[in-house]
Amino acid sequence: MTLALIDWIIIGVYIVGCLSAGLWMRRFVRSVDDFTVAGREVHVNLGIASLAATELGLVTVMYTAQLGYEKGFAGAIIGVIMAIAFLFVGSTGFVIEPLRNAGVMTIPELFEKRFSTRVRWLAGVFVALGGLLNMGIFLRLGGDFLVHVTGMPGSWLESVMTILLGLVLLYTVFGGMLSVLITDYLQFLVVGVGIVVTSVLVILHIGWGHLIDGLNAAWTAGHAAGAKTAAHPFNPADPSNFGWGYLAWQFVFQLAVVTTWQTTISRVLATKDSGTARQMYRRVSFYFVGRFLLPGLWGAAAFVYFTQHGGLPSGLDSSTAMPRYLGIVLPAGFLGLIIAAMIAAEMSTVSGYMLTWATVIYNDIITPCLKRPLSSKGQLFLTRSILFAIAAFLLFYGLWYQMPGNAWDYLAVTGNIYLASVFALLVAGLYWPRANTTGAYAALILGAIGPLTFLVVNAVVAKNHQIAPEVAGASSFALAFLGMIVGSLVTSAPAKVPAGNSV
Amino acid sequence: MKDPLVIFWTVLLFGSIAWYGFLVFYIGIKAGGEIRTLIKDLTAENARVDEIAQRDR
Repeated sequence: MTLALIDWIIIGVYIVGCLSAGLWMRRFVRSVDDFTVAGREVHVNLGIASLAATELGLVTVMYTAQLGYEKGFAGAIIGVIMAIAFLFVGSTGFVIEPLRNAGVMTIPELFEKRFSTRVRWLAGVFVALGGLLNMGIFLRLGGDFLVHVTGMPGSWLESVMTILLGLVLLYTVFGGMLSVLITDYLQFLVVGVGIVVTSVLVILHIGWGHLIDGLNAAWTAGHAAGAKTAAHPFNPADPSNFGWGYLAWQFVFQLAVVTTWQTTISRVLATKDSGTARQMYRRVSFYFVGRFLLPGLWGAAAFVYFTQHGGLPSGLDSSTAMPRYLGIVLPAGFLGLIIAAMIAAEMSTVSGYMLTWATVIYNDIITPCLKRPLSSKGQLFLTRSILFAIAAFLLFYGLWYQMPGNAWDYLAVTGNIYLASVFALLVAGLYWPRANTTGAYAALILGAIGPLTFLVVNAVVAKNHQIAPEVAGASSFALAFLGMIVGSLVTSAPAKVPAGNSV
Repeated sequence: MKDPLVIFWTVLLFGSIAWYGFLVFYIGIKAGGEIRTLIKDLTAENARVDEIAQRDR
């Protein structure tokens, strides 16, 4: 173990403080509305803190650092595209404004108003399926970070992550969104300080000029030798890096993420009004550049460091090189700070995600099937029970699933199971009066085919025959919109009043 | 360092560090105030609901 007493004190103080704050908020929970959308009382700055904390998890740090290790700074282009998408949606109100004005608790709830109860239910199934599969690798990747940065035995990973999940479950079950908001705020502060301090220390350790020269040298040497793994470290459009096709898909994908990803949208739905939601999006946009670029810096620095020190030690790969590197370069005290920050990142993301998917399962999958509405206490009990079930799933799935390819591609493709189809439903439902229920069914089913095929085929075929993530992703968007357009046009126009007037 | 792409990433990276540092203080103070307001509002709402419940009894 590389931790000193001061590191343990920092980590302990953070965990106790966070848990206490989360549990204290349980006294304010009276209804499912308080539990899931914090009574819609969230102002812009708290919304920014919560959104930023939820969307910057330990898993994010791991996959963005992996991108930095494999693709240099060019790997952070996804963050730039995401920031552009946030700024565009915040400036125009595209999707989020009518969605917030509809007063719904989840996206599928809107589909009942616009299409039918069955479309809501099916969309709820897809949202929950895609979200839970997406979240399935969080614990394993988070555990990998802690194992390699602290030097603790690998066999401790499961126990440590189980305890961490238990702590998150405790305050989320009792306080719901209100606890998540308060703990997100604390986590936002700790993560912010940890990321800034670590980035400065990494630059001081490796040297900025030395880092740029090291990346350039590795690219030039690898390119000259014809190495397949050598990617241009600064040019994302270079064929050796992402290439134009992948970047084009990312523009569509990120637009869908910021308008459709339920954990992001749940912050929109918790704001006081649509103006607050738009302001939150505009102000938070540049945060997402750093979300990819700063951990990407750590990954790129780890690459240069290990390349110049005899290559990666055995047992490490592009994902685990960064935490091992941080374990080497960060002094006592700072190591405790970054570990506390990363535990904070893990806790805020896991709590936010668990609550979001539990809300969807309760609100859109179970509630439409009930003959009589549950009492307020019954609703809370049901939502809390679903949280327990999700935690059990995370422990089980997170321990046995082996990712095909890198973490970012897995996350993008599993998210795509519902992103493509639900994005098509949202856009058509809100802006195309001719869209109808048949089109919605076709979009839901066709949009899920691409990513599900990717997951199944890539798990069984040899690596050189696997489907490229941008092909699976782009085809799912194309199929979803095709399904919506053709399905709507070949059947009669909807009898209901279009969404712009009714929701 | 004359490569425009290197300059692009350098500006973005140091801009991100500065932005994160600023946000921690700015959002820290502003959102802290909003949490106090939120708790005050929720406390008042809880008291109002309790009062109605007692009256109904």
